[in-house]
Amino acid sequence: MSSREDILQNIRRNTGVRYEKPDITSLEKEAITYPNKTKQFCKTLEEAGGHAIILEGEKIDDIIKNLYPTAKRIASEIKDLTCNGEKQTITCATFHPDDVASSADLDGTDVAIINGRFGVCENGAVWIQQDVEQRAIYFISEALVILVDKNKLVNNMHEAYTRIDTGKYGYGVFISGPSKTADIEQALVMGAHGAKEVIVILV
Amino acid sequence: MKVGLFIPCYINAVYPEVGIASYKLLKNLGIDVDYPSNQTCCGQPMANAGFENKANDLASHFDEIFNNYEYVVGPSASCVAFIRDHYDQLLNKKEHRCFCEKKTYEICEFIHDIIKPTSLSAVFPHKVSIQNSCHGVRLLHLSSPSELNIPYYNKLHNLLSLVKDIEIVEPERCDECCGFGGMFSIEEHAVSGQMGRDKIQRHIDTGAEYIVGADSSCLMHQTGIIEREKLSIKTIHVIQILASGL
Amino acid sequence: MSTKHSIAAEKFLKNQKMAAWHDQTLWMVRDKRDKMSRQIPEWERLRDMACSIKMYSNSHLDTLLQEFEKNALANGAHVYWAKDADEYCSIIYNILKSHNVKHFIKSKSMLAEECGLNEYLEEKNIEVTESDLGERILQLMHKRPSHIVMPAIHIKKEEIGDLFRREMGTEPKNNAQTYLTHAARRNLRHKFIEADAAMTGANFAVASTGECIVCTNEGNADMGTSQTKLQITAFGLEKIVPDRASLGVFTRLLARSGTGQPITSYTSHYRKPRKGGELHIIIVDNGRSQILSNPKHLKTLNCLRCGACMNTCPVYRRSGGYAYTYFIPGPIGINLGMLKAPLHYYDNISACSLCYSCQNICPAKVDLADQIYAWRQTLQSLGVANSEKRAISYGMAFLTKRPNLFNKVLKEAHFINSFPRWILYNKLNNWGKEHEMPRFAKESFREMWKKGKIK
Repeated sequence: MSSREDILQNIRRNTGVRYEKPDITSLEKEAITYPNKTKQFCKTLEEAGGHAIILEGEKIDDIIKNLYPTAKRIASEIKDLTCNGEKQTITCATFHPDDVASSADLDGTDVAIINGRFGVCENGAVWIQQDVEQRAIYFISEALVILVDKNKLVNNMHEAYTRIDTGKYGYGVFISGPSKTADIEQALVMGAHGAKEVIVILV
Repeated sequence: MKVGLFIPCYINAVYPEVGIASYKLLKNLGIDVDYPSNQTCCGQPMANAGFENKANDLASHFDEIFNNYEYVVGPSASCVAFIRDHYDQLLNKKEHRCFCEKKTYEICEFIHDIIKPTSLSAVFPHKVSIQNSCHGVRLLHLSSPSELNIPYYNKLHNLLSLVKDIEIVEPERCDECCGFGGMFSIEEHAVSGQMGRDKIQRHIDTGAEYIVGADSSCLMHQTGIIEREKLSIKTIHVIQILASGL
Repeated sequence: MSTKHSIAAEKFLKNQKMAAWHDQTLWMVRDKRDKMSRQIPEWERLRDMACSIKMYSNSHLDTLLQEFEKNALANGAHVYWAKDADEYCSIIYNILKSHNVKHFIKSKSMLAEECGLNEYLEEKNIEVTESDLGERILQLMHKRPSHIVMPAIHIKKEEIGDLFRREMGTEPKNNAQTYLTHAARRNLRHKFIEADAAMTGANFAVASTGECIVCTNEGNADMGTSQTKLQITAFGLEKIVPDRASLGVFTRLLARSGTGQPITSYTSHYRKPRKGGELHIIIVDNGRSQILSNPKHLKTLNCLRCGACMNTCPVYRRSGGYAYTYFIPGPIGINLGMLKAPLHYYDNISACSLCYSCQNICPAKVDLADQIYAWRQTLQSLGVANSEKRAISYGMAFLTKRPNLFNKVLKEAHFINSFPRWILYNKLNNWGKEHEMPRFAKESFREMWKKGKIK
């Protein structure tokens, strides 16, 4: 007999009481909500070591140039977008993540500008649905700038899970602040393997 | 209301003053208290050490001698917790069950929840730090366990608040185990001793003169360490304070 | 009266400074967890729900695992079933061999630890690189984790500074955590890029979508799997959850309970292989289906491996992970070890004062303390009960079953108080090593009652 059959048979033989599937909906309904979602999102992202910027007419290009004046390799998966009803073009990027021949060539990226689908207020996370072939760009860049529609903030993870999609690449990730570790004596250090800085621009 | 006073074996032998205070306090609260004198031990020490079968006869004996009382009340949270949580299973084969566990109360819980006095004559002009003992907190729910996200309450604190001139505090890590744990304190003496010393230090850090608790076993453990290390704090059972002046 | 745990714990406590640091640091994590949980008004309902979902999924493993398999295959993944550790290791080896993999990069997996994967592969000349910083430190030191979430919690930065100087050429005496972490970042960046295959465990596997969810703070799972074209993901079969709605419950509890964060930095959802790549998923039993037949210990399968029970355990904090003989320490490790092989791991049963804090803190409501109590009751029939504890218990039972004899003995007991110290405090008296002895009263309560002295 195959291991598969063996395991399934063991499971069937050993399973006693079969418990019913609980109804999550009432819990989902009573889960925490925030009166000021923008404020809450900014606060939790800050606590997670990231930083939020609420766009008020500035050019995204200028913000990035100010934040990273010495950046040489800037990747962007976004070119044109509309903020507050006004068209903007990102010109500071030096390449598109899928321009490279292999994911290893993304090593040395200073800043990556990527698209976040929505933000989660309870934990400062942003849902990233893989939009480019080289998803390494979400992790390998020294700094990550995520653009999120400021009207697309959800309260909690229950709401978040009703709207995620892993798209045609079959991958998605919640990113909450920069990569971090406390593995040496529990001292918190940003930038273990992934981005050392995460900026979320609410557009 | 007829109450059978349950005096655990080690309180009977080592801390009779706790038993006396219990009797006097209940009596003073207008309760008809009796002490069935052929009681011995509830069986907890053996069971926690892994010899639950040695507790069967004791449970059966307990069940019988306390049959005729409306309530069974004892000044030891962990003994009461053992009776309440384990007797049903220990005695499930017994033919004539009295179900004593259903009416057995820890004395603070009994006074707080059933008698509900609004005043006491006790006076205790000292600062006390509450020993929130594990089985009292997490099995009998005498206070809100620090792990749970539920509103704060503390039945010991409420009762002590009825005492005149007392100052009540709780230590940091308010309900971390003191390290007694029955035979744990012998088998794992190094960890147990460290837990005890840490706990006592946190009580001392509050500036209290007394560690006050509802479990003489935790207090016995801490007293033994206080004496060994010559530390400047004393222990007292909560009932001795509530019954002071009686 | 001692166990392997109590002896090792006593040794651990000899280094008072380190032991105090260990206790305080883990308590700090517990404290952060408390603050996090209090920000969520529905916290206790979340815990109830997590428990109910697990009780459902673990009693429907047959259907859920098959649903997962069907969906994973449709997503383009390969799915394998491993009965035990050997099969798990050999499946991985065969995948690596058939792809001619020389460099293999791993993110943290307790399952790999459980099955001895690294040793197995290294014997077959495959270079394995641990990419989680803590795990990497331990791999270079040839040590095992002492905590399931903070594996290197027992190592001091000076030792790491020394290690990195030898292994990565860092400056001597520079032991600053940021400096060392970034040195490891640079060093491992090459390993990620050179790797031919990457492996992850999984925190959750979703039946309805066939996807695996991995939670990390460092981003190491994603660094590995986004560089290589060959991804292997393996999980113990109890990691299955029915749907994404369940993830809403578990992702709210996991990091808050484990490290006191609202969520890990990365919560990754792997559904399909990378374009032009392969995704191999291994479902592992290794004794888990056996636990299903054991109603008293069924809830161990609820465990999310968050580590909260370790952080809150007053005994774990004061004895360190190495004091336990099973590779998972603390309350959950005591229980998992007993389920694995009671005669091998019964020494850990002593490491519990039955304070019940673990049971109150567990996000999936594993009845950890009740289970330890239940295991204690089995030691005698296993033939490994401690003889002194048995003697005390039997002696106490003998006396207390005979009220007359018991009272006679008590009447004389206070003479013990006046015994000379050398009789009372000897090597055999473990109580006397830490405490003064309690003194028997001149008259017991019962004596006084009988004489009518109590009014």
